[in-house]
Amino acid sequence: MNIAVLIKQVPVSNDVSVDPETHALVRASSEGMINPSDLNAIEAALVLKEQTGGKVVVFTMGPPDAEKSLRDAMALGCDESCLITDRVFGGADTIATAKVLAEGIKKYGTFDLIMGGALSADGATGQVGAMVAEYLDIPHVTEIQAVSYDESEPDKVTILKKFQGLDLTIKAALPALVSVNFGANEPRLATLRTKRAAKSKPLATYTNAEMGMDPEEIGLKGSPTIVTDSFEPESDRKAEFLTGTPKELAEKLKELIETEKGKE
Amino acid sequence: MEKKKIGIIGGGISGACLGYHLSLYDNAEVIVFEKDTIGGASTAKSAGTVCLFDDSLRNRYWDVRLYGFESYLKMEAEEKGSAGFDKTGTLVVATNEQVEATIKTGIALAKAAGYNGEYITDKDRIKEILPDISTENILGAGYTQDDGYFDGTMISNTYAKKMQKNGGTIKTGVKVTEVIKEGDKVTGLKTDEGITYDFDVVVDCTGPWSKFTGDMVGLDVPIWHTKAEAFFLCPPGKKLSYTFPVLKYPEFYALRAGDNIFICKSHLSMDLNNPMHAGQWDPDKLPATGGTDDYFIDFLLDQLEAKVPGIVDSGLVSSWLSYRAEPKDFLPILGETPVEGYYLATGYGGNGVIEAPASSRDLAKLIMRGESTPLLEDWAFKRLMK
Repeated sequence: MNIAVLIKQVPVSNDVSVDPETHALVRASSEGMINPSDLNAIEAALVLKEQTGGKVVVFTMGPPDAEKSLRDAMALGCDESCLITDRVFGGADTIATAKVLAEGIKKYGTFDLIMGGALSADGATGQVGAMVAEYLDIPHVTEIQAVSYDESEPDKVTILKKFQGLDLTIKAALPALVSVNFGANEPRLATLRTKRAAKSKPLATYTNAEMGMDPEEIGLKGSPTIVTDSFEPESDRKAEFLTGTPKELAEKLKELIETEKGKE
Repeated sequence: MEKKKIGIIGGGISGACLGYHLSLYDNAEVIVFEKDTIGGASTAKSAGTVCLFDDSLRNRYWDVRLYGFESYLKMEAEEKGSAGFDKTGTLVVATNEQVEATIKTGIALAKAAGYNGEYITDKDRIKEILPDISTENILGAGYTQDDGYFDGTMISNTYAKKMQKNGGTIKTGVKVTEVIKEGDKVTGLKTDEGITYDFDVVVDCTGPWSKFTGDMVGLDVPIWHTKAEAFFLCPPGKKLSYTFPVLKYPEFYALRAGDNIFICKSHLSMDLNNPMHAGQWDPDKLPATGGTDDYFIDFLLDQLEAKVPGIVDSGLVSSWLSYRAEPKDFLPILGETPVEGYYLATGYGGNGVIEAPASSRDLAKLIMRGESTPLLEDWAFKRLMK
């Protein structure tokens, strides 16, 4: 089974604020990592590859330094990767992003299954996966817990999705797209050996020179979303740090529980 | 009694420990200025391997090491957990006859101080202590059971607490913006609170920042940064079935960190002429995690394949990069400088946690009584002016 995994490089730091002029997120650190639920998608893809053979190709759209996350994904066991990067893709909303990713996947080759994390840690819209599926005209199931493949039904995958307290088992015809929930599995770790091996695995770079997309349809120009306002939530939560010996701590804790009991 | 006012810049292990030792003098009035948190920067990234072996494998400053070790044992005995002691023992591997001779001296010194120590040539016995090790191409190993890991951040905070009990002041989240001089003499400093403080003595305890701190008094502090690149490994099988000791080779060292293994390229394998190892960088730009170079992965993989093959397929949990502050001879800079009233307690390289108690004891004596010691003579700034 050939699988494409869509990943996003997100900032390591949670220390983000909102620019009052542009409403864009201002990130304290430029250091990036693979979006956490994308790691769950990679793990699910690698398990399927180990069972069925084929290859896992990881895609991302982002600035050139997103190569780091692609190398990290290949250190986990993904076979190849594709960095889609061009200034004209910048400022894209979810529609323009999905359009470019779908085009990149088509250009790269054919895949039986496309996977991605359900939500990104920074934007958390959860929209891109489903939109990519629409642009590729294939079925999709979002926010899944698990996906499995049975050789007796070679043109389908079986998906487990939790929905309103129910466990749904869904069969999807291939090719299909699924987005995997954070925590759906335990992602493997890279090792020193796989880190070294990842340095020489294939990494294709697509700019718009290769993709040939209409500049009016992509990036900021191709994004119909208008952010009218964004703000930091107000919070009056308080935290108190208790210090002392274990006995003193226990007494303080008891006192706190007594004082706070019954309060909202 | 007239008070002597001392301002300490930097609240890592160097500043917190010196602050405590100064606070033991009745006539000292001490303030420590820390721009972030106590023991939070390079101290927090220290391996904290306070072992009965000198990691320079020269045993030259054995008494400094022993004083540090015993200070932390006492701290831990006074309040359990206050020094974060993890008694795992230390295994130092002899890869050639020169290293073997030094290890044997180290064992003799440990035993003379009343601690357990043995030099082991029985390779089965070495494998009992560290089952994942390769005993090929080694002569033997020194093993001390009584030492291990101490937590630099906890120690710094304990010293800060003790110093405050003695009447000292800690100012965290306060950055020193200017050191005030009258003529060639330091008279105080200014902070980003907008406050001016008068001091008789200002001590730079800023480690990797010392180059920039020295600029405030026009002093060129001769330190370089060497990269301390560390990985946390999750062993195959996720949990070790034995107590992983502090493990020392001339090229790297490793220790237990919970269920993981912390591993770092050794201090003395650094080459100040190699730009991959050393340079002068801005420690404020260090990321909290990551930042390691690819060459380090290759280095570590080669080392582990040859020396500790049982953990080579460990998962990489996280990594970090820290800067050690090193003068060219890899020894600290302690004491007076050409600027009157401006002292240094910096350049510990990777050994701040081990060396701070003895050097702070001696430096406090110099500042408060004007008395020098052989250690201060050895580590004086003037040696670097030749």
